[in-house]
Amino acid sequence: MSIPNIVSKKMLPIAIFILATQILYAQKIVHYDLYVRDTIVNFTGKEKRAIAVNGQIPMPTLTFTEGDIAEIVVHNQLKESTSLHWHGLYVPNKEDGVPYLTQLPIKPNETFTYRFPIVQSGTHWYHSHSGLQEQIGMYGSLILKKKTEDKTFRKGIDNIPQVPVVLSEWTDLKPENVHRMLHNASDWFAIKKGTTQSYTEAISAGHFKTKLINEWKRMLAMDVSDVYYEKVLINGENESQLSQFKAGDKIRLRISNGGASSYFWLKYAGGKMTVVANDGNDVEPVEVDRLIIGVSETYDVIVTIPAENTAYEFLATSEDRTKSTSLYLGDGVIQLTSPMPKLKYFEGMKMMNTMMKMDGSMNDMGMNMSLQKMDMNTVMYPEISGKPKMKKKNDMNMDDKMNHSEHSDSSNNQQDDIVTLNYGMLKASHPTTLPKNAQVRELRFELTGNMNRYVWSMDNIVLSETDKILIKKGENVRITLYNNSMMRHPMHLHGHDFRVLNGQGEYAPLKNVLDIIPMETDTIEFNANLEGDWFFHCHILYHMMAGMNRVFSYENQPPNPYLPNKTLAYKKLQAESNQLHFMAENDFATNGNDGMAMLQNTRWSFGTEWRLGYHDVHGYESETHIGRYIGKMQWLMPFIGFDWRYRKFGIDEQETNLFNQSNSKDNRNLFSAGINYTLPMLVIFQIEAFHNGDVRFQLMREDIPVSKRLRAGFMVNTDKEYMAGLRYIVNKNMSVSTHYDSDMGLGVGLSINY
Amino acid sequence: MKSIKIFLAITVMLSFTGLNAQIKNAKTDSVKIFGNCGMCKAAIEKAGNKKKIAKVDWNKESKMATITYDAKKTNREEILKRIALSGYDNEKFLAPNDVYAKLPVCCQYKIEVRTEVKKEEAKKDSAKIEMTDDQTNHNHSKMTETKKDVSQLKTVFDNYFAIKDALVKTDGNTASTMAKELQRAIGHVQMDKLSSEEHIAWMKVMKNLAVAAELIADTKDVSQQREYFIALSKNMYLLIKVSKQETPVYYQHCPMANNGKGANWLSKESAIKNPFYGSEMLSCGKTVETIK
Repeated sequence: MSIPNIVSKKMLPIAIFILATQILYAQKIVHYDLYVRDTIVNFTGKEKRAIAVNGQIPMPTLTFTEGDIAEIVVHNQLKESTSLHWHGLYVPNKEDGVPYLTQLPIKPNETFTYRFPIVQSGTHWYHSHSGLQEQIGMYGSLILKKKTEDKTFRKGIDNIPQVPVVLSEWTDLKPENVHRMLHNASDWFAIKKGTTQSYTEAISAGHFKTKLINEWKRMLAMDVSDVYYEKVLINGENESQLSQFKAGDKIRLRISNGGASSYFWLKYAGGKMTVVANDGNDVEPVEVDRLIIGVSETYDVIVTIPAENTAYEFLATSEDRTKSTSLYLGDGVIQLTSPMPKLKYFEGMKMMNTMMKMDGSMNDMGMNMSLQKMDMNTVMYPEISGKPKMKKKNDMNMDDKMNHSEHSDSSNNQQDDIVTLNYGMLKASHPTTLPKNAQVRELRFELTGNMNRYVWSMDNIVLSETDKILIKKGENVRITLYNNSMMRHPMHLHGHDFRVLNGQGEYAPLKNVLDIIPMETDTIEFNANLEGDWFFHCHILYHMMAGMNRVFSYENQPPNPYLPNKTLAYKKLQAESNQLHFMAENDFATNGNDGMAMLQNTRWSFGTEWRLGYHDVHGYESETHIGRYIGKMQWLMPFIGFDWRYRKFGIDEQETNLFNQSNSKDNRNLFSAGINYTLPMLVIFQIEAFHNGDVRFQLMREDIPVSKRLRAGFMVNTDKEYMAGLRYIVNKNMSVSTHYDSDMGLGVGLSINY
Repeated sequence: MKSIKIFLAITVMLSFTGLNAQIKNAKTDSVKIFGNCGMCKAAIEKAGNKKKIAKVDWNKESKMATITYDAKKTNREEILKRIALSGYDNEKFLAPNDVYAKLPVCCQYKIEVRTEVKKEEAKKDSAKIEMTDDQTNHNHSKMTETKKDVSQLKTVFDNYFAIKDALVKTDGNTASTMAKELQRAIGHVQMDKLSSEEHIAWMKVMKNLAVAAELIADTKDVSQQREYFIALSKNMYLLIKVSKQETPVYYQHCPMANNGKGANWLSKESAIKNPFYGSEMLSCGKTVETIK
């Protein structure tokens, strides 16, 4: 890896710092040159493309002191446009770095200068806001120091050794491909993670009924995160050691989660961690055993080196617990901390079943949940709820009376004292109240999503379907968020810190990212005191790119010199998060070719299917449908289409359909209109009427997860056609398949999909 | 389908049988790994071995292991880390404490080192026991002599918290014992010595408290005890609200308890430890009121 060591990372800013101080007294200008270049990295044994800034991943740590003026020159040496966003900073709107919202993209070979005063302190980070560049290296730490004469300066916290810690993940797949696979409901990531939750696995875990109910409620396999990553990283490395620390040292870790879509569990082998700041804002110190850091959040924690000649492991584990990364603090033999045990997915599925209503929305059963306090995922944490048992254990059904006396074995009781941080425990170190006499603007958003088609939205509306939300300068904006989707979302607001109303009264903590667990309701508020157009979005990169965004726009704001035509720019911004995704597959079988190709975005689907035999008797046919998905869960899709067939009568002669209508299977050129509706068990029911008056009803289910890699499917319709098949997934683009088709008979083949 | 899989499997197996034990690019190292017995040997080797990549051979006398590995695919550190994570300290990594603690007793190789530590701990423990003895004596003396100063409801509350702690640990026996204690404490309260506010509240809840305590004492089934604990907590709350406390008491709420109707309990610590579910949902709940 081309990651320079910590020393050189620290030296650069220090050198610049010293130079700068000599020239200016009052307001130092701190200057950085950032060269953005394509690079080749090798995290996994395979060489892949990434983006490095000044030759390194993560990007260099930028350090400023409150009161400085930052001058950052971006030299774009990529073949694509780029941008940099200063996450968590109060900057003039035109410096915020969101292409098409606050500036135009920085074109290839262009140089762009960001220049803004530093008016705050704390741990922040910066990243590209263009496309999916953040996934492949464009993230870095941004440390704003307090002045030593600052009256909020905390001895023992602000003057101890500190280490920037940037968490991230790496996938060998191109992020564009990851994005496309997510939209096509590919279960390749689940296979890689071992979370297929197939029927075979369900039965052997004693959870057949759970799986059945789950599919009855039209849910796919459940997971806590969407993407499989080959590696997770701390400061660009999977394992690293800082051996300069000695016994008794206290170290402040300035942790930012620069991962594109992963939450991380943080643990330390040398005792408790003291949380002293969150999202760059000081909080009253609180001791915890572990905490979860949401995508794009930052936490400052203090850890101690307890003993001589020992290094202690700081362990970050991705939320799905498939991968982890370690930083060893200290010198000598390494004291490890125990890894997080694997999740119990079927327990989680069972919990989901009880919470999910038939219409696909969540039912919180009157539980008043907020602030990460009641993490329903705890049913999946073996370290808290006991080891998974192969036998069916006591029913966890919420309506039943709970009887868990059998869990009282000593190994669990050990865990009773694990202190896990939640938002309720964060208390600002100073009052954070908003101006009292300002007008209050109340807003409410329901976070909505559809895993099957990977549509993520707010109030079931994606950015491309809505205008900017106008707010007035000076008013207090209070936002209530309710998460009605199955995933947690880290909601990030640009340009402002908001108060999280967590019961700490005047001392409500300030944050700029709010992690919200499914079924939680949280209230945040901020004073509109910085004019401009500000992005408000889910910081999971692939959710953002799916449209889970809004823009807050100040009324009557001065024009932005970088964006002369804001209307056009907004259209471009909207288009970016509603792109068409292409998928195709073809089964080269002994009895013919079966395949389909599809282009889809948030609401529309353009698809064509074909079945091509090798000779006239087997026939040739194709069906093309253009449809629009309706409703939040998108179970209904009306469509129009065109059907073409040619066949010589052969194996399976059927001249009439079930309604005794004539059948034009041998030679057909028909327009049609119809609807697709997803029934329980994920069976797609299709009614299609052709322009000659023929009607066809069809039931189809594909991709029934029989075992980890084995999928079954069937189709039957009123033209007396039927099909059943099995498919074994070899890799993400290839399967071996066999199927029996009423037109073409039995076949075995190789199926290729994109 | 299946036949294809089997065929593939057979081909793979056939082509590799000859190579089974061979490791390419082999590098051999000798390292110290702590352990005691034959069981340790099996566990260490199992953790370290990886087919065709790494092979570990540990000697229980010398505590030395010979590790042979494919230097292109792995390294010493990876192997030693795996071994440490299974519980065995070595020259590069120390096992996590909780993993070590779960090793079979015969494998607890630190025992010699620990005996000394233990002796000291034992000393401390005995000191503790004496202290606690002191305290209980003290309590008794309080009950009999100095009732005027400290609220005589203190024993009632203390016993309540003991029941709560037992339920958090899903320990029906202790809960039952402590409930008997609570019954006794309730019997010992002298109403005329209570403050007037306490007196009024006491009159209101005494009977309910006694009944709930009796019900909890009569069973060792935790799920039943938890049901009665709802009523006990409710009444205890009314009482504790009007009674002066030295330390703050937290009134906490779990919305899932009581068949989803929700239920409350009292605790002396702000961190949630749910007595209605114990380890199953330990941190479910929130503080709804702090009583000072």
